[in-house]
Amino acid sequence: MTDGTPSSPPPERYDVLVVGAGIAGMEASITLGDAGFKTLLVEREPTIGGKVLLLSKVFPTLDCASCISGTKTSRVSHHPNIDMRTYTEVEAIRREPDGSFLVRLREKPRYVDMATCTGCGDCEKACPIIVPKENDFGLRGRKSIYIPFDTGVPKKAVLDMKNCIYCMACERACPADAIDFLQVEKVREVRVGAVLLSTGFNLFPAEKKTAYHYGEYPNVVTAMQMDRLVGPTRPYNSVMRLSDGKEPANIAYALCTGSRDLTVGNPRCSQVCCMYSMKQAQLLMGILPTADITLYYMDIRAYGKGFEEFYQQTKAMGVKFVRGRVAKIEETSGNDLRVYHEDTEGRGVLVKSDHDLVVLSIGLLPNPGIATIFTNETLELDEMGWIKMRNETQSPSMTSIDGVFVAGCASGPKDIPDSIAEASSAVSQCIAYLTQMRGLAPSGVVPEQTRQESNGEASGLHREVPVEAK
Amino acid sequence: MAAVTPTIHRSNPGLMKEIQGLGAFDVSACYSCGTCTSVCPLSDGKTIFPRKLITYVQLGLEDKLLQSADPWLCYYCGECTDSCPRKADPAGFMMATRRWLTTKYDFTGISKALYRSHVADWIGIALLSFIAALFIYLLHGPIVTSTVALATFAPVDIVETGDIVILGVLSAFLLVNVFRMYYYTVYTKTGKEIAFTTYLKELFIQLPINFLTQYKIRSCTPGDNRDWFSHWTRFAGYALLFVLAVFLMYEWQTDQFYPLWSPIMLIQYVAAGLFFFGLSAPLYGRIKKTKNMYKYSHATDWMFLLMLLATGVTGVLIVIFRYALLPWDTYIIYSVHLMLVTSLLVLEVPFAKWSHMAYRTFAPYFARLAELKEVGEAV
Repeated sequence: MTDGTPSSPPPERYDVLVVGAGIAGMEASITLGDAGFKTLLVEREPTIGGKVLLLSKVFPTLDCASCISGTKTSRVSHHPNIDMRTYTEVEAIRREPDGSFLVRLREKPRYVDMATCTGCGDCEKACPIIVPKENDFGLRGRKSIYIPFDTGVPKKAVLDMKNCIYCMACERACPADAIDFLQVEKVREVRVGAVLLSTGFNLFPAEKKTAYHYGEYPNVVTAMQMDRLVGPTRPYNSVMRLSDGKEPANIAYALCTGSRDLTVGNPRCSQVCCMYSMKQAQLLMGILPTADITLYYMDIRAYGKGFEEFYQQTKAMGVKFVRGRVAKIEETSGNDLRVYHEDTEGRGVLVKSDHDLVVLSIGLLPNPGIATIFTNETLELDEMGWIKMRNETQSPSMTSIDGVFVAGCASGPKDIPDSIAEASSAVSQCIAYLTQMRGLAPSGVVPEQTRQESNGEASGLHREVPVEAK
Repeated sequence: MAAVTPTIHRSNPGLMKEIQGLGAFDVSACYSCGTCTSVCPLSDGKTIFPRKLITYVQLGLEDKLLQSADPWLCYYCGECTDSCPRKADPAGFMMATRRWLTTKYDFTGISKALYRSHVADWIGIALLSFIAALFIYLLHGPIVTSTVALATFAPVDIVETGDIVILGVLSAFLLVNVFRMYYYTVYTKTGKEIAFTTYLKELFIQLPINFLTQYKIRSCTPGDNRDWFSHWTRFAGYALLFVLAVFLMYEWQTDQFYPLWSPIMLIQYVAAGLFFFGLSAPLYGRIKKTKNMYKYSHATDWMFLLMLLATGVTGVLIVIFRYALLPWDTYIIYSVHLMLVTSLLVLEVPFAKWSHMAYRTFAPYFARLAELKEVGEAV
């Protein structure tokens, strides 16, 4: 293993470091790259795409989520101005006297040579170890050496050393000789002009809401699991209960699980749960046309463009909306579930409703670890742990540190279009900072063709950048 | 459901502040999710609290709140407060509402003063102690110092007369308050007629068992009878002392020295044992704040508990001093005991916390009557 000291050559230079390759980080990197800025995109997971890639469809248009993030993952991986580093963590960021940032990166070993691995999956077939698959939220298994996600980028295997038994079956099976058990962690330093944080959110750990018995009752699942169950890359090719594989006929949604709830420490609304629950309800009505679907809610927050219409449409399709928070869930015979709630719009009495599957619409929690990596400056967080904006109404993408910007859910829960819009906003502030405050010119490849075309057309952004243009 | 005739309710915008002044909670934070109603162990598809009562207060619907006997059916298990996603403390709200209702059932305004002002509490205790002391000073018999002659110092017929007078006056006050409770919770509600025999039948079904056993406390904590047992021992201890003071006064308070194991002494030990045992749980709980029920203590809660404790301790001391043959100590502690008993009974029974013995007893009866009125007697 390395002793932690950086390698001897002077640190590589980038214009911008983007931390986190979810939908906001990808969008920001592409826009920065298109503008000619040399961008280093760092992702701690083995593949890029974040949580959007795992979703089924998106509200309120019911567009395919893969179609939204898929174009971005491929753009990111082929962009001449973007250097993408997966399975890499930012360990420390230090402000230098000249105003730039010195960034220490820790590249985790994949034990697979990225250059030679073709993503054929033979190693996966050979590996005898099966553990729950993180990207399917435990709905199916993966091997100890595995391709993290069907549509993930880069499509390269990664070896999970924690579960490996060193049987070497993968090494023997690999036709490209890409397995390398001797890989070690690499620490390197780079110098960047600005930092853009798009570290996203953590999902609420549903077991924390003990009254719902997630993890204890097999037929209580999270909405993220349900999104996998109805997604195009779904594990079972149908929606089924986890206890017995039966198709559910009477599904309940418990909204505000882990949001607006001081008993679990989160008083805030997560902003997306109402809408994604309704989206799933609509998809389920298509997949299981005879199933009854009930949403237990407190307030339906359908505040965006087309959201209210989507809500009305969901109601018109026959989804039942019941006002009243689910207080507790009880298991009855045959792993069926009984939901306790108050009839808040009627007499105000307790109602116990039976369902065969309960989906917890889990909320979004901050991912505050990023604050500790700034060694000589303070990245301020709000009281919940989201990255604090310098001025929410006037400069939403600016953080407490000059030259450090934020986009997407890192600063608070938001939906996909808002995350993308915020990424563009952060990029424009970032460019203004680099060119005006720091007096730096873009140091990346300037794609001439894009520039010319953009004169005649609406925008040159997001179109294929010819690699040879220089 | 039958058609609901719209009624116009007068809103009292100060109601929230009024009730918050009687307890520690923040129900203005309530967003009506209904979790409290759903986790309440009493929720049986008929009861409608605490959420609906909180809504009444948020809307300032004073008369609706006054018409509800429900707060007296809640025994403060605290489940709702533990699971409230807004930490609005609905259980504390129910307690504060009981205090508020106590002040409303009382027509004299004394209750209101006792609940709202510490000064009034102290004046009340001082005044009643003074009156008791004055009576003792004026009416006491010869002070014998060669031996301890308590019945000579305090002639039993006079004490007994005092007992009966206080009992009569306090019962009158309390029954008027109970009648006002009936007026609000049953009489003012519109609905179907109830036959007179039903009134009597329900009275016999509900009252004796509720008064003697307080078994409803147990329904709040299924599987855990400790709260009920603690309360019942307090009640039983006090009931025995009541029997001694009212019916066995001539046997209890004599100049004669019974052997320590004589029946009347044994009754006394049992009563004292139950009484102190019953007091220990709420005293310890309120000091250590062991559960929701004990986390917030209003001044009147302390007043009630400490006066009960002081009365009990002085009562025990009388017996000890008497058997130690200390005449002056006995007479003085006996006088202090009488002063405490007088303030305790006169303040607490009709006007403050002890009035719950009537309201708690009658509430299930009134709630049943209100239900019969609403749905008719067929059910």
